[in-house]
Amino acid sequence: MRTSNIVALGFALILFSLPGAVLAKGNAENGKKIVESRSLGNCAACHVVPGMEFPGDVGPDLAKSMEGYTERDRDTVRQWVWDARQFNPDTIMPPFGPNKLLTKEQVDDVVEYLFSIKKKN
Amino acid sequence: MSRFSRAFVLLACAGVLTAGAWKYSFAGEEAAPRIKEYTPNISSQEYEKRYNAVYGKSTEKMAEEGNPADFMLDDGKDLFGKAEGSAGKSCASCHGANGEKLKGVAATFPKYDPAINGINTVALQINRCRQEHMGAAPLKYETYDQLALELYVKSLSNGVPIKVSIDGPAKPFYEAGKAYYYKRHGQFNFSCAICHVKYAGHMMRANLLSSNRHHADHWPAYRLDWGAAGSFQKRFRGCNKNVRQEVLPFQCETYRDLELYLTYQANGLPIQVPGFKM
Ligand code: HEC
Ligand code: HEC
Repeated sequence: MRTSNIVALGFALILFSLPGAVLAKGNAENGKKIVESRSLGNCAACHVVPGMEFPGDVGPDLAKSMEGYTERDRDTVRQWVWDARQFNPDTIMPPFGPNKLLTKEQVDDVVEYLFSIKKKN
Repeated sequence: MSRFSRAFVLLACAGVLTAGAWKYSFAGEEAAPRIKEYTPNISSQEYEKRYNAVYGKSTEKMAEEGNPADFMLDDGKDLFGKAEGSAGKSCASCHGANGEKLKGVAATFPKYDPAINGINTVALQINRCRQEHMGAAPLKYETYDQLALELYVKSLSNGVPIKVSIDGPAKPFYEAGKAYYYKRHGQFNFSCAICHVKYAGHMMRANLLSSNRHHADHWPAYRLDWGAAGSFQKRFRGCNKNVRQEVLPFQCETYRDLELYLTYQANGLPIQVPGFKM
């Protein structure tokens, strides 16, 4: 048990430190569902999200934000969704990863979706 | 690192952590200044403007239809005059047939009370009167009769500017309320303050985040969302639940401290009960 945990942790550490390009690609279609779902991402509570009615204006327009990121920034975008406190310790944005609001795979899917709305705009 | 030294580091960390927790729980006043209060995001006037822009139509319609809690207020007046308990007394026996002696009193609540070494609220005081002076059982919080009485007692201060004190012995309880208001907790890691101070006036989905300056002046209130009247503390529980935080019991110490903190933010505003909210 112990050792396997440590091995898993090691793997996770290696994974996170790899450059963005090697990170697992998610599923944009699934990501869209997570972003729009009230019980999962609920991102429109705070952000303008393409196609969502009555969005909040607490955070920036996500399509606009994505204009500022290229494929090389995939890891940065992922870290924003995983735990925005890394960029702003007093952020209102929930720490989706650490607080188990979304799984690793779900975060990958959300990131894939974010890059897909970038292409469309 | 050897197994032993690793265990030692872990123990040391645990020691530092518990020492931290100890300090926090026993030195409320000392811990308090660490809170960096947010400057409110918008002025009262600007908030009103936005409120009218977002909800104007519904508010007009609600005003036309009238507040359903007005009936509760009438029932509260009747209960005020009704003798209950072994002493054969009613509230009116001590406070005047029409509550004359309680005019303006609710505007000074919540307040520090040495008898309970804590913060006394109107709801708590009603139950203390029942137990100590009437020989009657306390009313269960949020039941119809309990709310009706609280509503009537507060209505005796309608139009009177809120004037709560946080001086002297009240201060640490005020600071505890503030600490709770600013504490990040629950699965979303929100604090009350981040929504109702830092982002007040912003839209969170279709909701205009309200400014906490205006939270304390209109409870108990009728809420369409509840389809019933409820207390200020019931509203705390609603937000706790919505943002996946622990929901606390009515009139517990934390909610009474929180009520003091929020009522102080409303100092100077006239009491207007029953409120009527979406
Ligand atoms: C409760 C509010 C809230 C929720 C919910 C929220 N965010 Fe955010 N988000 C913010 C704020 C505010 C910022 C701006 C940075 C800051 O202030 O911390 C931000 C920043 C971001 C950024 C960086 C934008 C940039 O310009 O670099 C991304 C990407 C992002 N959010 C994605 C998401 C996604 C995806 C979701 C849902 C899974 C989400 N957010 C949910 C409030 C929120
Ligand atoms: C994620 C955002 C968020 C958080 C965190 C939050 N609230 Fe709210 N709160 C709302 C929204 C949205 C409403 C409904 C619209 C409004 O009146 O602001 C609301 C309404 C209220 C109201 C009713 C306002 C009125 O008309 O009197 C009170 C009181 C209140 N909240 C207190 C609290 C307290 C206390 C906490 C912390 C325990 C808290 N809120 C945490 C979003 C939040």
